[in-house]
Amino acid sequence: MTEPFILFTVAGTTYGLRSTQVAHVELIDHVTPVPNAAHFVDGVVFSRGEVVPALNLRARFGFERAPLGLSSRLLVATAGGRTVGLVVDSAREFVAIDAAAIQPPSAMLSGLSGRYLEGVANIGDRLVLVLNLTEVLTFTDPALEAQT
Amino acid sequence: MANDPDFLAGFMDDYFVECEEHLTAIRGQLLELERGVGAAAVRPALLEELFRSFHSIKGISGMVELREAEMLAHQMESYLRALRQKDVVLSQRGVDALIAGVQALETTIAARRDNRKGPSIEPSVQELAAVTPAASAPAAPPAAPAAPAAVASWRVTFTPSAERVARGVNVDNVRARLRERGTIVDATPRVLPEGIAFEFLFAGDLTPALLDAWRPDGLVAERLTAPTVAAPPPAAETPASEATGAEAPEGGDAARLGTSHVVRVEMARLDELMRMIGDLVISRARLESALARVERHVPPVEWRTVQENSQTIERQLRDLREGVIRVRLVPVREIFRRMPFVVRDLARETDKRVRLELRGQETEIDKYLIERMMDPVLHLVRNAVSHGFEPAAERAALGKPEEGTLTLSASSVGESVLLEIADDGRGIDPAAVAARARAIGVPVPEGELGPRALLDIICAPGFSTREETDRASGRGVGMAVVKATVEELNGTISLDTAPGEGTRFLIELPLTLSITDALIAHVGDRTFAVPQAQVREVVEMDPAALRRVEQHEIAPFRGGSLPILRLGRLFGMPSAPRRALHVFVVGTGRDAIGIAVDRISGQREIVVRRMADDLIDVEGIAGATDLGDGRVVLILDLPALGRYRGDPVAAGGAR
Amino acid sequence: MNRTLIVDDSPTMRRMVKVSLRDVCSGGFAEAASGLEAIEQLALGPIALMVLDLNMPDMHGLEVLKFLRAHQAFRQVPVIVLTTRGDEPSRAAALAAGASLYLTKPFAPQALAAHARELLGERCVVAPLNNEGAGDGE
Repeated sequence: MTEPFILFTVAGTTYGLRSTQVAHVELIDHVTPVPNAAHFVDGVVFSRGEVVPALNLRARFGFERAPLGLSSRLLVATAGGRTVGLVVDSAREFVAIDAAAIQPPSAMLSGLSGRYLEGVANIGDRLVLVLNLTEVLTFTDPALEAQT
Repeated sequence: MANDPDFLAGFMDDYFVECEEHLTAIRGQLLELERGVGAAAVRPALLEELFRSFHSIKGISGMVELREAEMLAHQMESYLRALRQKDVVLSQRGVDALIAGVQALETTIAARRDNRKGPSIEPSVQELAAVTPAASAPAAPPAAPAAPAAVASWRVTFTPSAERVARGVNVDNVRARLRERGTIVDATPRVLPEGIAFEFLFAGDLTPALLDAWRPDGLVAERLTAPTVAAPPPAAETPASEATGAEAPEGGDAARLGTSHVVRVEMARLDELMRMIGDLVISRARLESALARVERHVPPVEWRTVQENSQTIERQLRDLREGVIRVRLVPVREIFRRMPFVVRDLARETDKRVRLELRGQETEIDKYLIERMMDPVLHLVRNAVSHGFEPAAERAALGKPEEGTLTLSASSVGESVLLEIADDGRGIDPAAVAARARAIGVPVPEGELGPRALLDIICAPGFSTREETDRASGRGVGMAVVKATVEELNGTISLDTAPGEGTRFLIELPLTLSITDALIAHVGDRTFAVPQAQVREVVEMDPAALRRVEQHEIAPFRGGSLPILRLGRLFGMPSAPRRALHVFVVGTGRDAIGIAVDRISGQREIVVRRMADDLIDVEGIAGATDLGDGRVVLILDLPALGRYRGDPVAAGGAR
Repeated sequence: MNRTLIVDDSPTMRRMVKVSLRDVCSGGFAEAASGLEAIEQLALGPIALMVLDLNMPDMHGLEVLKFLRAHQAFRQVPVIVLTTRGDEPSRAAALAAGASLYLTKPFAPQALAAHARELLGERCVVAPLNNEGAGDGE
């Protein structure tokens, strides 16, 4: 059984998110900063009339923020009744991934982003990290929070 | 008979709404029933209504497979049937069993809604079974309720047709018209040569003018020469009797009247409509600014027409908006109705005597606000009963009436609604509050505690957790939550109390949310919207006039001084005021505070969008809006910002 | 094809019945929340099938049924009496008064649909009593 995923990149790594969780992908026009919000929140944007937070996945995974470029995208995704925007470096592909091809993350990947992973899939010679969105939204790592 | 979960899922919202309607009616009816304990007879229509409410809950609970609710409703229905058939006499124990049963039923339904495990229903079911005689089997068909002893003076015949029904003239409507003017003694359908007709025997006044007006609606009235006393329903071809019309209690009748004139609409759909109107308001704002840019290219005469049309659209948009707002309004009665129930129970438990006075139940308020305010009002009422009133003996010793009076009133003032919760109990003792505050580390200002300071303290998180955890305050909604809820709804709460005389809470809420007038403020390159209702005054100040006292800035103001908070500092943003600071003055007297921005550029009508996600739920930001360019502009919550005055640094570092 | 009339004082129950019968009753639905409203609906157009609750305000379902069966024009309309469990003693009364079928709530949507399909198979058309204008001739 295969499932469609959207692939996107953050700091040179390819990630995948179930396309059932992605409402749409947008160009990033203007993000309004929200004072005193969590450090990995760039701010808020309107997405189809709704105010959604824009999460910077670079910041969330512990990388330096990069300036927004032509390929930067906002993935508007839903999990647990919440709608959030994910700021990513690029998002271009849809692929179908066989459920059997998704392996639990290895110890090697238990670094900063490892906590947000559901598994790892090999597609051809590429490695795709499958994101656990709920964890991304809720998990708080004291070490990570202290970096601000 | 397990039903398809998908089939059920589509009905759960309907189920909860309908149960709540029945439960609301039941609460009022049970209080009336209780007054009938020991009386010669209970009004048959009351038993009938209660019976039918439980019967309906039982039916739909069975369908959604909520067996506990079905079982509880069934037991209560059985007891009422026994009462109706006079197999048993109404007792206090019976009423108590019903009340306990209704509470168990409410909890069971709420648990299902929140996907929690419900309470054990066994004690309630057993107690209900104990008061119900075993022999009370349903009789079939039920005896028609006795007709009211009224003398009919008219025979009114109504002939329905598709055209009449289409314009709202149907049997329900006709019944309502007649009830406004008298008593329906009997209603019977007939098959006449021209079709089906309804014949009403009616006691009341009908004028010739009225009859003329009614004729086009298919209504014909004939005066009965020899007044006809309502005969018991004949065993003839078409018996049907009208029993509930005579003395229906306030509210109960209106609720059921004309089911076919009432459309149920999900709140989400109204929200969607409101959002679309919001979009329209924004589009119009865009059109307006586009028009301003082309003005000089258009001949003046043409320009005037364009201008007039644009203004017409604005006015119509306001009307449309008000129309939708009106649809969302419901009477405050929805909150008040359950209070007699709560007060009765609690007064009993705490051994107090309390009389509840309800005023202004018809005052209308947004449905969303009603839902959000239910728990806070409940909390204030519980507080008043358990802590506000003295026990009867103590009151007598003080020369006060033994029975305390709790007043709940609602009234509308312009665009706001005032809710008042007042008791004539012992009042709040400032010394005791201060002592307790110091004991648990809540800061207490120096000097005499005014009502505002007192309110701040009792609303401090953790304060209202009393040492003695009684059931009344053990529900988790403390004063802190009451205040937070009111403020989140853009409302204000104030306190008025005098030792020995009583306590009064006054809550002011906007009629509705969503669209409001705002001032547009700027700090550096950032733009914010400030709800105008929060601002007492806007003043310009020379930054040089500000003095520093410790880490605070103070400005001379109206012969006194005003603490100033700079928004740029609170939010850690670069700020570049031109010559003068613009300051929003919030609050009055000693609570006044100024919030300074670089510049205020004008006033606008804005559409409030909620910022609900935890990640962006920041103190001091009330929501977001769009000024026409598609970018998010944050809406400030000035009172919340004002609370940082003691420690402005915290706002920059928290979260 | 003619309408199916759903008579029940609970709006939730009416919707449940309606959704259950959606694929069976192609003639559309009419609803009534009381006995008198049900009879009013009879005046407005022909009915292919009636689903009738018993315990209702104003006019008991049995009385609606008796009214129907007492008049030539409605004698043939199939009526499913759908009443809440616990009313069983009314079964005999309902069948005696001319119910085509007696079912109890909670009901299984598929079963209700199957019964309705069967009754509609032996469908009979009843002419409306009140034509537009016929009632205005006073």
